Amino acid sequence: MLFAFLLLFLLRALFGFEPLYDGAVYGGVAGLIGAIGFLWGIGCFDFWLGWAKGADISEEDHSFHGVSNWKQYFRVNTDHKVIGLQYLGATLFFMLWGGLMALLIRTELAAPGQQFADGETYNGFLSMHATLMIFVFAVPVFGGIANYVLPIMLGAKDMAFPRLNALSFWFLPVAGFMFLASMFTGMFGAAWTAYPPLASQGTMGQTLFELGIQFAGASSIATAINFLATIVTMRAPGMTIWRMPILAWATGVTSVLAVFATPFIAGSQFLTMFDRIMGTHFFVPDQGGDVIMYQHIFWFYSHPAVYIMLLPGFGIISEIIATFARKPLFGYRAMAFSLVAIAVLGFGVWAHHMFVSGMAAWLRVPMMVTTIIIAVPTGVKMWSWLATLWQGRIHMKTPMLWAMGFLFTFLLGGLSGVFLGIVPADIQMSDTYFVTAHLHYVLYGGTVFTVFAGLYYWFPKMTGKMYNERLGQWHFWLTFAATQLTFFPMHWQGLQGMPRRVSDYDPRFETVNSIETVGSYMLGIATIIFFYNIITSWKSGPKAPWNPWRGKTLEWMVSSPPPLFNFDVEPQVVGGPYQYGIPDARHAVVFAPEEFGGELTEDTRYPVLVVANETLTSQTLIDEIRSRDSEGLWSFQLVAPVGDGDRSTTERRLATALAILAESGVSATGRVAEGDMVSVATEAAAEVAPQELVIATLPLAQSRWMQTDSVDKVRKATGVAMSHVIVPPNDARALLATAALPLVMVVATEAVGAEALATAVRTRADAQPARFTVVTPLDLPEPRWGAEANELRRAAGEAMTATINALVNTGVAVDGEVMDDGADVALPLAIDAYRPSVIIVAGINGEAAGLRAAAEAAAGETPVESVNLGAAAGA
Amino acid sequence: MATTAGHAPADQGHATPEQPHHMKPALMGMLLFIGSEVMLFASLFTAYFFIRYGVANETWPPLKQDGEPFELPVVLTGVNTLILVSSSFTLWWGEKRLAAGDNKGLIRGLWVTILMGATFLLIQLNEYAHLGFTPQDRAFSGAFYTLTGFHGAHVLVGLIVLSLCLRRAYQRDFSATYHTPLTAGSYYWHFVDIVWVLLFFLVYVI
Repeated sequence: MLFAFLLLFLLRALFGFEPLYDGAVYGGVAGLIGAIGFLWGIGCFDFWLGWAKGADISEEDHSFHGVSNWKQYFRVNTDHKVIGLQYLGATLFFMLWGGLMALLIRTELAAPGQQFADGETYNGFLSMHATLMIFVFAVPVFGGIANYVLPIMLGAKDMAFPRLNALSFWFLPVAGFMFLASMFTGMFGAAWTAYPPLASQGTMGQTLFELGIQFAGASSIATAINFLATIVTMRAPGMTIWRMPILAWATGVTSVLAVFATPFIAGSQFLTMFDRIMGTHFFVPDQGGDVIMYQHIFWFYSHPAVYIMLLPGFGIISEIIATFARKPLFGYRAMAFSLVAIAVLGFGVWAHHMFVSGMAAWLRVPMMVTTIIIAVPTGVKMWSWLATLWQGRIHMKTPMLWAMGFLFTFLLGGLSGVFLGIVPADIQMSDTYFVTAHLHYVLYGGTVFTVFAGLYYWFPKMTGKMYNERLGQWHFWLTFAATQLTFFPMHWQGLQGMPRRVSDYDPRFETVNSIETVGSYMLGIATIIFFYNIITSWKSGPKAPWNPWRGKTLEWMVSSPPPLFNFDVEPQVVGGPYQYGIPDARHAVVFAPEEFGGELTEDTRYPVLVVANETLTSQTLIDEIRSRDSEGLWSFQLVAPVGDGDRSTTERRLATALAILAESGVSATGRVAEGDMVSVATEAAAEVAPQELVIATLPLAQSRWMQTDSVDKVRKATGVAMSHVIVPPNDARALLATAALPLVMVVATEAVGAEALATAVRTRADAQPARFTVVTPLDLPEPRWGAEANELRRAAGEAMTATINALVNTGVAVDGEVMDDGADVALPLAIDAYRPSVIIVAGINGEAAGLRAAAEAAAGETPVESVNLGAAAGA
Repeated sequence: MATTAGHAPADQGHATPEQPHHMKPALMGMLLFIGSEVMLFASLFTAYFFIRYGVANETWPPLKQDGEPFELPVVLTGVNTLILVSSSFTLWWGEKRLAAGDNKGLIRGLWVTILMGATFLLIQLNEYAHLGFTPQDRAFSGAFYTLTGFHGAHVLVGLIVLSLCLRRAYQRDFSATYHTPLTAGSYYWHFVDIVWVLLFFLVYVI
């Protein structure tokens, strides 16, 4: 360091700089050397130095891989999972500082006039707030999430360049602490945009800002290169680009932006730095310099940077919405292409930040057009998310809540963006609070909400612990409300003409400003809840299962947290990533060595609660349950509320349904519960904590549950993701065509219509679940079209209907047929058509003997039984 | 050990053939890095052209603070350009020798390349010393020194990379089948040369 100062002094003396000592210059050099020395000292360069020295180094040296205790998170590590957490830790730390700055800003703005900070200090706060939030939170935080998740999603053991990965992470605290250090050297006050000539003046802090940007930019570029190399070269077998999760697409596209746009901000900061410390005149007009040039170069990075801060969030939201709506992502390819389109267009819109800057006027309209066109691919994404939600089975867990908050907040931000993209509107609203409102809606929606969504979504995977759902929901609702409270009034303020970046304002804005200040404090409280939740949950939360959200992508097929090298054997990808609800669809097959049990699949079944009574045995409900079963590991708990009906009727239906499900290999249990549907369903939901609640009813006209609004009451009372299955009445009563239940053919003539027959059939059904078909052979007098025959048919039909209704209404699966022939002709036909497993001949006293003889003659192998209903039955 | 369809047995793991459609990550990384370097120079060229064309009422070449026009030694730099461009070909020749299995040829090629690169740098430094203006002159001089200085720094990095490759070549670390670091280094060197050709035409000639 001393040597460097000496060298610097000599150089300055040699070239005749005046004065020889300039704090900003020496401070800048000190910062630079300190930073490189720090990186060197913690061992970021060890491997490459070894390579350069020609030492015997091994590519397979994993000594820097993985952690065994928490202290090692503060050391250089090459494990992408550790680096991901380091990224998240560092960026959240800087987010706290940036948030603190925001609270200071809002406190100063709580009332007109000066509270505690003069203009200079206020500028420092707002510059620090924006710089920390953008360069060391919003841009790199997605690097953290993707670092952790992406290699696993792609089926890779690590990133393509683990050591570069470590280096690019450690650039980040260097950058962040350079920004923070400027608080001791006089804060930089030229905002995050650092326009000259303001940025050419100012204190030492401005130089640290420029240096810090270089490190943050280098970190960003190195990570982006790493992601791209990983995505292109490290995908598992079978992972074609059209099978990649959308997050991989988003990260790839973002990385292209980062690689090709970030050098522009590096260039712009080099130029201002040279102006400041070397005495060049890039931005001094009377020396041939050009101030507008800075803005062009700066925004050529910083507009794509907006997409660097948004696109990975879009990816995260796509993962979460598909998973929690249990539906394939709508328009997968459109989602991927719209990401690419946003990125490509994003390079052609930079000058819309400069409509009032005095740039070449002809640039305005083309930039306006491209800017507004960006709303098209963004709209494609918005509609695709909505279409994914459409008729999905939505689980409102914390990550999904954040995703919903994102949709709302980002939509508002996007719409005000269209306003600002229009030249005349922008000229009116430039540099007012309308812009502040717009950018905070975009970044809160697109970055903060998506980051929290992702953090909650992958928290179980990253830590192996479950977070506290209740606190997570509190965190969401508080943040959501406070966001709207803080930023929505800013639209109005801006339209009324309150300028941004000024520490004082007209007293007529006092009320709105104090409301916004209250909102910002609420955001602070919400953030405290978040940190309390993750810290306590990580320390002592319940253990997380492998796949708490029933996700399909690869990271859910490894343990939580994943093993050191993610996969013991390379996974084989066999299908798309979002095939929710498609029977037997699989994204990938993951194998472990034999000693771990071969194929890695979970055996924990998560409960699904099914509430039904009259519709229990319907094909519609059975099919719903079967399709869920083929999609994942569920155990179905059937609960049949008796209500004011007959208990044994309900029991019969339940027994039938369970027998059918058991035959299909569905894991299902069931019970009959006394009480009305709402209380039964609510209690059962509290008891089994189901992943989903399925309620089956008849249509509104026939369903008493619907008429009393019970389904909605349950929805509100339980808060569980719910599906309402509406069963057509015919289907609820129809005899199921299933091999699961033995078919019992009841042959009866006189007995049909008698209560005794129904009782006998019920007794039989209670003994063993079965389907019944009642057959009445009708020995008609000649001529068969005669009035007498018709009368006989009508009477038999009525009796049959009465019996079947009596049976169906008491939960027996039954149908029946009246046949136009004597027993000896009709029965062989019937047995051939129905193929019953048992035949029961039911007769009243002597009458049954002839029937039984005919039945036995026709039955062949089928056993034939007799029931004597007794003389009384005939009465 | 039991295997299942679609699953390669673990004991074949070491023999997995290189998947031909997969590029070497290191080379891809280098190409992307070069891409970002191209954009860095693009930002500096943007600055240069703004200064050159964006400012009204300037003659070209612009005047120095002492009223004289900026003059650049086009002929000397042209010769220097030729030296640098030829060094790309000598490096290419060295790599070709290596592909033929001739490690000595590679060492010769690297030596010549490095010496030519160093010559280029020395001539540039000499030019700096005799230009007659400093970066603190007008905006044009700042842009000139920034562009050439950045390029010079890249040449220096390229020389360091090639020297490391040379050391490795002496250790016979490269062969006709394994030469990824060398290839990455030569990509970088070619990039540095191409940027210079562009720079020479855009700043010196036109």
